Formats: sequence, C-alpha cells, structure tokens
Amino acid sequence: MSVHVFKLPDLGEGTVSAEVVNWLVKPGDVLKEDQPLVEMSTDKAVVEIPAPVSGRVLTITGKPGDVIAVGAELATFDTALAGATPAADTKPAAAAAVAGASAAQPPHRPVAAPAGEAAQVRASPATRRRAQEAGVDLARVAGSGTSGRITSEDLQAAIAARGAPAGGAPQPGAAQAGAARPAPAKGATAAEVEEIPVIGIRRVIAQRMSEAARSIPHFSYVEEVDISALHAMREHLNATAPKGAAPLSYLPFIVAALVRALQRYPQCNAHYDAAREVVLRHRAVHVGIATQTSEGLKVPVVRNADQLKLRALAAEIGRVTAAARDRSAKREELGGSTITVTSLGKLGGIASTPIINMPEVAIIGVNRAVERPMVVAGAIAIRRMMNLSSSFDHRFVDGADAAGLIQALRDLLEHPATIFIAE
Amino acid sequence: MAKMNMIQALNSAMDIAMGRDPSVVVLGQDVGFFGGVFRVTDGLQRKYGEHRVLDTPIAEGGIIAAAIGMGVNGLRPVAEVQFADYVYPAYDQIVSELARLRYRSAGDFFAPVTVRMPCGGGIRGGQTHSQSPEVLFAHVCGLKVAMPSNPYDAKGLLIGAIEDDDPVILLEPKRLYNGPFDGDPNKPAVPWSAHPKGEVPADHYAVPFGRAEIVRAGSQVTIIAYGTMVHVAEAAAQALKLDAEIIDVRSLVPLDVDTLCNSVCKTGRCVIAHEATRFAGFGAELAATVMEHCFWNLEAPIQRVAGWNTPYPHAFEWEYFPGQARVAMALKAVMEPK
Repeated sequence: MSVHVFKLPDLGEGTVSAEVVNWLVKPGDVLKEDQPLVEMSTDKAVVEIPAPVSGRVLTITGKPGDVIAVGAELATFDTALAGATPAADTKPAAAAAVAGASAAQPPHRPVAAPAGEAAQVRASPATRRRAQEAGVDLARVAGSGTSGRITSEDLQAAIAARGAPAGGAPQPGAAQAGAARPAPAKGATAAEVEEIPVIGIRRVIAQRMSEAARSIPHFSYVEEVDISALHAMREHLNATAPKGAAPLSYLPFIVAALVRALQRYPQCNAHYDAAREVVLRHRAVHVGIATQTSEGLKVPVVRNADQLKLRALAAEIGRVTAAARDRSAKREELGGSTITVTSLGKLGGIASTPIINMPEVAIIGVNRAVERPMVVAGAIAIRRMMNLSSSFDHRFVDGADAAGLIQALRDLLEHPATIFIAE
Repeated sequence: MAKMNMIQALNSAMDIAMGRDPSVVVLGQDVGFFGGVFRVTDGLQRKYGEHRVLDTPIAEGGIIAAAIGMGVNGLRPVAEVQFADYVYPAYDQIVSELARLRYRSAGDFFAPVTVRMPCGGGIRGGQTHSQSPEVLFAHVCGLKVAMPSNPYDAKGLLIGAIEDDDPVILLEPKRLYNGPFDGDPNKPAVPWSAHPKGEVPADHYAVPFGRAEIVRAGSQVTIIAYGTMVHVAEAAAQALKLDAEIIDVRSLVPLDVDTLCNSVCKTGRCVIAHEATRFAGFGAELAATVMEHCFWNLEAPIQRVAGWNTPYPHAFEWEYFPGQARVAMALKAVMEPK
C-alpha cells in the first residue's frame, strides 16, 4: 500500500488554519485527482479543496466545525489503487474493511482525534494545566497552532463551547467552568432547548463583533436626510433606463455620494493598524457592503468605488453581494474594504448603532426611506425622508469630523445633481 | 553618591576594603606600579604600599597559589587575573585547592580569596581576550561566582566578596568597564555617568550574594541575563515593544532561584541570554532550574541566546556576539505560541 498524506495547504493571504465545513468523501471512497474532497472555510470564504492524487481515501481529519492548521494532515490516500475503477472498490464491505484497518493503525495522527482514541496532544504545559483545571480533555480539542498545537485560545474556545453535561453528572472542574456557562432552565430537555454550535461563518462573525465592540470606542451619529429630490432622480433614471438595465436602488447613489464626501473627510476612509499604532489613510475607496446571507452577515467589497460611474457602481454592488449570497465570492472579495455601508432597506428602522468593521474607523448605516410631514418654508409638506445612523472610532475620528462627513453626505443626497458635478 | 564607571567602582571597593581591614592585600600582574592594565588598581600601591599591593610574575598558577597561602595564614587576598582567558594555568589551584580547602580540612582551614578577572567580548580582543568562562567555576563546588552588569553592583559585590570568608570568583565584563553596552558596536559609546547605576555611594556597602535583581518589571516574558547581556536584552525587548521582565542574575552561585522562578511562573515565557558558548553553558542550568519550578506555567519552550559553539573568533566578532537581533529572534520564538 502506498500512502499519500495530504496536508492542508496555505489557502492564501497567510491563512493559518481553516475550518471543515463539509466532507464530500468518506474513508473508502476512491477518487480521481482534482475530484472535490472537502469544503473548508477560511476567515470568510468557503473553499472547495480537490483531491491532490488519485486513490482510495484512507482517513480524513476533523468533522464539520473542526479547525485544521495549515500544514496539518487533512486526509490520507492509498495511491496503489490509482488504476482501479471506482465501481470495483466501493463495495460497502471492502470500504468498511479498509476504514477499519486504517482506524486500527492510523498512519498519522489526526489533529482532532475522535472521542476515545488515545492521541498525542501538542500543547504547552500551561495550556495542559489550564485544561486539567477546567476539566477539558485536550485530545478532543482541535489545535490551530503550528503542527496542530492546541493554543490557549483553542482551549478557551473549547471551554466556551462546552455545553452543560447532558446526563446531570458533573464534569471534573465544572465548578470553575460553570461560572462562564449559561445553565439551561431547570428541567429543560433536548426537545425544549436546541444546541446550536457556534462554528464556521457564525464563529468568525462572533469573534469579529466581540473584538470590534471591545476594542473600539464607538460613537453613533444620526441625521435625517430629505431624499425627495434623490427619489425623483432615481424614478426618472429607472423610467428612462435602457431596456434590460437593472433598476437602481438608493444604495449606489449613497455610495457615490459617500465617495465624494470622503474626499473632504479622508480621516474616515482609514484603517487602524493596532500592532504598529498607525492610522492608514487610503487614497482609494473600497466600500464594504454589509450583506445578509443565509449563513449570516458578510461584507463583500466594491473595490475602487471612487473610479466607478453610477451604473457600473450599481452593477458591481449587485455582483459582489450576489457572490456573497451564493458563496461564490473569492476570499479577496470579502476583505480589504476601507469603509462600510450597512443598509437593511425597508427593514432599516429609524435609527441604529452599527458596529464598525475592523480595522476600519467608520460605518455608514442607512435607515428606511419613508414619506413624512415636514415643515418646509413655514408650511407642512410631505417629504421623503431617510435617516443615516453611522458609527465612528472616536480614537481617530473626532465628533466634528464625523458630523462634517455626514452633513456633507446629506448635502450631496439632498442635491443629488451635485454628486455628479465635478468641482 | 558619586558618578563612577565600573573601573572606578571596583577601585573604590578595594580602596575601602584595604582602608578598613589591614589584612586585605591585592596581587596580580601589573596591578601595583602600573595600576592594572584596565586601571582597576590604579593608585592603590601608592596609597597602601608595596607590601599590600604586589606585582607578580606572569604565572597565574602562582598568583592563586600564593593567594591561597596568604588566605590560610590570615590575610584577605584579592587576586587579579589579567584576563579571564588567562585563568586556565590557575584552574588546578582554584578547583583542587581553593574551592576544597574548607571541605578537605573539615572546616579547620579556609582561604578568603577573591579572584577578579575581566571577561567577555565586544572589545575586538579575539579568542584570547574575550572569553566568558563563568560556567567552569559555577560547576565547581565551593566557589561563589558573580558577574555584575553595572558599577553599583560591581562595587557592592567586590566588597561582599572580599569580606566573605570563602573563595569568590568575580567576573567583570570588560565591555562594561567604561559604559553600558546594548550590543550595537556602531553606536557611539555611552558613559556610565548617564546611567542610573553609575551613581555609586562613595562609602562602604555590600551587594549580597544569592540575590538577583529585577532590572525591569514586566508581564509578557522573563529575560534572564547577566553581565553585558542585561543591557542587550533591555534594548532588544524595547525594540520589540515587549513588556518584558528583565532579571540580572548577578550572583550565579549561589543562585536566586525564587526571583527567577517567581517571574517565569508569572509571565509563562522565558528567554535566557549569556555571552558564553551555548552548549553546556550556564544557561542550561538556568533553563533546567526554571523548567523544574515553572513547568506547569510555561506557555512556550524556554529559549537560550548564547555565543556559538566555537572559540571566540578574531574575525566576525559581531556575528559571534549574541546581539539584539539574536535576542529578538528568541523573544519572537517564545512569544509566538499562544
């Protein structure tokens, strides 16, 4: 038997680990080279990894939700069977025999060993002590460090993810861990409480939201904008659009106006590099578009929004958000924005307090557009109004500058022709 | 308080000891009329006479042997070996006679001998003027071994050594004689007058053996160093913006295990730095001690920064000397595992 060990490759941009989303094969399957093997999730994008060789799958490492370190073993193949036809080798008995043999004598240690299997754990002494105190079996914790080492963060995640013991028998160390763990309501049964593991995109969302909320001193600023003129312009453009052109929403106008306003307030189009303690002001404007998907919130990016005319901007917003929704977005299309716009359209409410998309320093929230009675020139008039609720990183954006940006944005949106008139 | 460099501080220590105790004598090559090649004994012979500050032949075995005889007969000799690199002819006298005298005679005889020797590199001295042989003495039972990193400790340790009834080996990092040195030979030399540890009491005081000093308190990583490497470690940690706790061992034997290990148990990370050759160097003893006491607190493997396993070279001194870059590499390695 000739065994090929397939280690998780670097999936780009210095990825250090990836999470198993879905195995497309099982031990015993016979694959051709390049046949889909497994779906892995990096920070945001889901990547389908093909088989590196032809052969029979001997072992696979990790179940959905497990984090595998780059360079750690992902799967092993018996390549001696490369010439065999799949039909001859996928008999259940044969597959089971192979799987059984490999389980008895695994050629390499998986990163996250299945329960009950004695596996060698790589972890620092301090992590081992903390695990013992918390009553966590490190053999069941996936390691994200070099060569599959279990880091302190991995252990923290394992402790946080650990549910209450189902049978009522307390785990060792439950006293220490219990404080941080919400106890289910007394007498709750599995039928009443559904446990949803925080994995994949949801875990990334949770980590980023917590970090942003924890480390950034946010302040929010809400202003109302009279978009009656913008509404009229949009209606006209949609009514006179060439046949087949997609109707325009407010969003491309808002992004175009934002790009314009940022020319005067470049401090809001920036990243904060905490490691180096520098603010990086970007000349290009890459606008993140907060997008609700079936997997949760994603922020696909319209790159160089400052270079795009209105219809191209609208098309690009449509393209990247669709790609985020159907999971076809590439990794680089889901990162690198310099400022983010979050809009829930009709669900936008009247005000919100958006959380900044780190490492950016500003996020522009768009609330619902609605007709309201307003006082215009001493008389009540029905105007189409829309609020902007935006948050800023108060470390690097002063209140006056934030207000200046939003007032400039309001001025552009209330006089929409000025968005497009070069100064 | 007076401003002193390490040479003046050591000179002051001997001056005070000789003034207080007529049994204190100084001997070595060129220590008398000439005042020492590094000027450490300058003026002592003029002040205390040829019978108390003795110029000896170029025979290190004889210098130590004579010092032992003086010590057994009631004097307190301070012997200078001109460079630590020259101590090997005296090694038999130190190991076989000086270190064992009290043990061999069941306490009937002892010799309160202090052996001073300039050590360490960074002065373009090549292999015969740059060695750090501290571990050769630390391994010998019956010797106290110390290496100061600044004038204040140098004076206090030397007075403590002279007043100690048992033999002490005092290694003096000669690169630090005139000023602190952070490992960068391209920077202009800095005098001790600009450094807080250049403030030295003019009067008598002793720095106790067996007590390390926390040079800088910190939380992220413990750097254990002594001699010149204390300053290199400080600069490297500062360059990396690490909140490092830096400990100057000062007294290698006896070793202040509590201060070292309390710190590593607190930070969970440890880098050990010395100029001497890495293999079987004193860092190995430090690493083993830390591991025994702090194992369950260690977040990462202990890192050692040391001279390469070759004789100290004539050429490529700055490739050999464990400067800031090598300390920084060890710090990064020890900080990496989370």
